[in-house]
Amino acid sequence: MTQLFYPLTPGATLPGDWFPGKIPSNVVAGESTVIDSSFCFKHFFARGLVGLRVGSHVTIWRTSLAADADAVIEIGDYCYLANASLVCTERISIGSYVMIAGGVTIADSDFHPVGPAGRIADTIALSGRGDRSHRPAIGVRPVVIEDGVWIGWNATILKGVRVGEGAVIAPGALVHRDVPAGVHVAGNPARPVQEAP
Amino acid sequence: MSDTPFELVYDWYGRGLPPNIRIGRDVYIDSAYGFAPFRSQRTPGLVLGDASGAYDRATFVVGPQGAVAVGEYTVLNGTYIVANDRVTIGSHCLLAWGSVLTDTWVGVHASPVARRATLRAVAGDPARHPGPVEPPRPVTLEDNVWIGFDSVVLPGVTIGRGAIVGCKTVVTMDVAPYDVVVGDPMRVVRRLDPDDTPEARERALHEHLK
Repeated sequence: MTQLFYPLTPGATLPGDWFPGKIPSNVVAGESTVIDSSFCFKHFFARGLVGLRVGSHVTIWRTSLAADADAVIEIGDYCYLANASLVCTERISIGSYVMIAGGVTIADSDFHPVGPAGRIADTIALSGRGDRSHRPAIGVRPVVIEDGVWIGWNATILKGVRVGEGAVIAPGALVHRDVPAGVHVAGNPARPVQEAP
Repeated sequence: MSDTPFELVYDWYGRGLPPNIRIGRDVYIDSAYGFAPFRSQRTPGLVLGDASGAYDRATFVVGPQGAVAVGEYTVLNGTYIVANDRVTIGSHCLLAWGSVLTDTWVGVHASPVARRATLRAVAGDPARHPGPVEPPRPVTLEDNVWIGFDSVVLPGVTIGRGAIVGCKTVVTMDVAPYDVVVGDPMRVVRRLDPDDTPEARERALHEHLK
């Protein structure tokens, strides 16, 4: 018994997919890039010409590609995304040779307004009676993950963060500030560690 | 090889369980979905003890040489287990959602060159299985351990009997029996009274079984 993967093909229905969905048509993917199920796109609402751009030789497994209407998710070559969540309002850019382990969340927004009055407005706008297209303003800043970054299990990367080339995010770390290239961080909030954890 | 015939009724996933797992009596499994990444070639590759349960999205990411053993009355509630050698979980353990037990690092200690080589190798494997980047080191949970939600238990760790790991804790080193550990970095905050005697267990079996 083996996990099955299918080429990430725009507009396709995957043969034998357990989830009754399709790959969105505004996806661009390179050669030998694969995915396990259209379930990854359950929360993908990007409406742009390209909402998800993926390079070649990438594996996407059980990863939630949650994208708002104007969102753009970019992923380079030779990345491996396992059981992660990308929650994108504007832009999440992931370089090449990036490993993202299980339980990881990467988000480029605060999800909701910080001010109390704004949150009241948001609960109304998000309700069954509300107009989701006119939500109150929410803090959004793009996330950039540069080449060769490794992100451990259950780590969280918040809005506006740039993780520099070759940096390592330890399991469970909560990253809310930039991580310089090649630096290894751990903890909540994440701080540089001298040696491997 | 099940001790008793085991069949998932009404499983939405519909791809069935692997053949090389040994399932005890009165075991509960939500769905075969969590077994899709189970590639163990060992016999058995997984043991689920009597009256244990794999609930919600409990997931077994087990490599060809990996094996997992789970004791009696243990609850795996959406736990994510990565085994390329051995993960052993005792009896009466409680493991909450989002918790990760892994005997293998994804490669945070490896050089950037080695990490790239790993990702190239994964892309060349039709099954896209990320092999161990570093040698696995077995993980052991003794009996009656409670792991809080979103915690991570890292390779080589042994957690002693009766211990509690608070939610979102990253367990980088062994935990002594009956210790309560929390945080990241982890620290010990309490020592519990070891009142889980064999007599207490017998009494509980007498009082709480149907």
